[in-house]
Amino acid sequence: MPEPMKPARWLADYGMILVLVLLCAFFSAVTYSEQSPTGEAAAGQVVEAVLKAVPNGARVLVVASDQPGDAVFAARVERDLKAAGAQVLASVTGEPRNAREALQKIQAAGGSLNAVAATRVAGGWRVFTDLASDFPSLGSPRMITPASYRWPHFLKSENLLNIANQIAVIAIVAIGMTLVIITGGIDLSVGSLIALSAVLAAGFIRDRAGGVSASTGGMVLGCLLAILVCGAVGGFSGLMITRFAIPPFIVTLAMMLVGSGLAYILAQGQSIYQIPDSFVWLGRGADLFGLPNAVVLLLVLYALAQVLMSRMKLGRYLYAVGGNAEAARLSGVPVRRVLLFAYVASGLLAGLGGVIMASQLKSGSPTYGNMYELYVIAAVVVGGTSLSGGEGRMLGTLTGAFTIAVIQNGMNLTNVESYTQKVVLGLVILGAVLLDKLRQGRWAR
Amino acid sequence: MKYFQRALMACLLALLGGCGDKAVDSSQPAASASKVQGTIGVSLLTLDNPFFKVIGDSITAEGKKHGYETVVVSGDKDVAKQGNQIKDFIVKKVSAIVLSPCDSKSIIPVIQEANAAGIPVFTVDIPCNEPGVKIVTQIATDNEGGGREAGQAMIEALGEAGGKIAVLHFKQAESCQLRVKGFMEVIRAHNAGGKSKIDVVTELESGAAKDLGYKAAEDALQAHPDLRGIFAINDPAALGARAALEKASKTQVLIIGFDGQPEGKQAIKDGKIYADPIQFPDQMGVRMVDAILRHSKGETLPAQMLIPTRLYRKSDAQKDPTLH
Repeated sequence: MPEPMKPARWLADYGMILVLVLLCAFFSAVTYSEQSPTGEAAAGQVVEAVLKAVPNGARVLVVASDQPGDAVFAARVERDLKAAGAQVLASVTGEPRNAREALQKIQAAGGSLNAVAATRVAGGWRVFTDLASDFPSLGSPRMITPASYRWPHFLKSENLLNIANQIAVIAIVAIGMTLVIITGGIDLSVGSLIALSAVLAAGFIRDRAGGVSASTGGMVLGCLLAILVCGAVGGFSGLMITRFAIPPFIVTLAMMLVGSGLAYILAQGQSIYQIPDSFVWLGRGADLFGLPNAVVLLLVLYALAQVLMSRMKLGRYLYAVGGNAEAARLSGVPVRRVLLFAYVASGLLAGLGGVIMASQLKSGSPTYGNMYELYVIAAVVVGGTSLSGGEGRMLGTLTGAFTIAVIQNGMNLTNVESYTQKVVLGLVILGAVLLDKLRQGRWAR
Repeated sequence: MKYFQRALMACLLALLGGCGDKAVDSSQPAASASKVQGTIGVSLLTLDNPFFKVIGDSITAEGKKHGYETVVVSGDKDVAKQGNQIKDFIVKKVSAIVLSPCDSKSIIPVIQEANAAGIPVFTVDIPCNEPGVKIVTQIATDNEGGGREAGQAMIEALGEAGGKIAVLHFKQAESCQLRVKGFMEVIRAHNAGGKSKIDVVTELESGAAKDLGYKAAEDALQAHPDLRGIFAINDPAALGARAALEKASKTQVLIIGFDGQPEGKQAIKDGKIYADPIQFPDQMGVRMVDAILRHSKGETLPAQMLIPTRLYRKSDAQKDPTLH
């Protein structure tokens, strides 16, 4: 173990985490808003209020939408009201249309209505706000909905998992990009490789593994094949760079075009969707403590990458090559092989990213991954990796990826318009890197 | 480190403190129009195209009249991005989601998520007629009817002589397939009955954009120097084609466009495009908010609502006060 870190050192290494925490706090504050409770607890509140408002023999309509928890709400309200002697005329779980039908039935039967016990969402339907004018013969029923509570949308666990799931592809591809950038290179082909991999995996499953009835083995084979092809493309780039000394920018720019073109050719410009439902396991399943599988994979990969960079000889070599390739070569580092490894790894991880995206969207399309290379590079750079090579951290990249995801998600939650989002994202990337420079005291250099 | 953790806990506790009031409000069923009814989340194919921008703006304006707040985002033709936007709408628990899918196949799982969260989903312009998804209604231009209008305009433009024409297509979009289908139907009917044959000699990909429309028209002119007409599936492609005609000094070739965007209308007024079947994106927005309201009131809506196009010629453009 290294010596315990001093706070200043810690801040210097992981200052971006602080930025991320600040961003989270900011978005929590601005998305602090009313939430609509449902389920058992909300049901208890509503029953109590109905009995208080109409103590004896209330004639009640119970309404819930079809959100998760709403069926429980409706069942519980109906049961408890009946137990307390109230009359439940109907219990509706569904759409506004179902509520209207129930109201029409009650009106047709000539009955009156004392109260409507509804979830907040259902209570907001127009069918109830216009109740007095549309159904005058029902009397003037009380609308009773559970009390709302306030909590940031941003901090809801479903949103936090949402963010992690949304960034999984970019964050995973960014591992490979970090390796490449640490060696002083760049890989522009990753976006196209995401598309190529998604198309290859989906195409293999459709054409070779039996389409919608493909077996698990067939799907795994298709995914592995796609990832390996992308690894081979990365290897090809690496060879061009190491054997012919073509600048990485040029080589990977060419491979970006080749990869994208191949994806369009293979998919014939269409999205490939004839794949089994179970294919979404990787992208949308959540088997371990409710964590999405893609996020688990992400964490495992980052742990491995961290070990590689900080505990293994290869990691040291990567830094050495990026710091000064000539010095590294003279001290016996196999520079070419190290570089080749970085590009192969980047290709493989881009392939994996493509497979995850295909799984999330249950289809493969050549339009996937468009501009992703730029987001991935942004994540790496925001994470504190220097584009001139030789320095950078995996945890930094992970923080960078999450910073970008949090900004995008936060702006979607706070109703920021698309054009403005681009401007803000660009400025934040710039700001983060500036802050990083400032923190390292290199401003004036 | 401990200090830092404590500070974080304190922040969290402060946030938690704000919630947990246990009262139940029971409002009277009085009609209340002024208060905010909820949010409409709109994710459109792109906002680069004025057509979608107008749809978004008109949903926002019309929604405001009925007490809805509207968020309009652009999917930028990237279905993964659009998927994330929809997921964020679901987390926000918006009252309704309106989208024009970037890819009607790949968006299925995301729509299913919205369905499971009990949020009604509406589509505008681009449909998603896939099994397993629940769409309240689809609002779009009657593209096939518009294509037929374009066909009639072409016959009218070429007159007695007939001749060779090119179609600048955008095959990825179902709407454009319908336009060309309607167009070809009319042209075929004309050829079957009439003497002046109209010959569709080439069908090129225009990308529904100016630059690619330009290239496609250039290539069409190289292959068929005696071309007399071009049908472009939207205004950008038509304007790109016009630029190619001007470059080749072949402005006698007549163009029929589609859309009726301001730039296209201006080109019609200037005689650069012969005519456009025009769409009404503003009406689409108004109809969309109406559909959301009607759904919320419990009405059953038809699966599809088509808005007819209208043929817009130079004479219409001269009367149009929005042009100069």
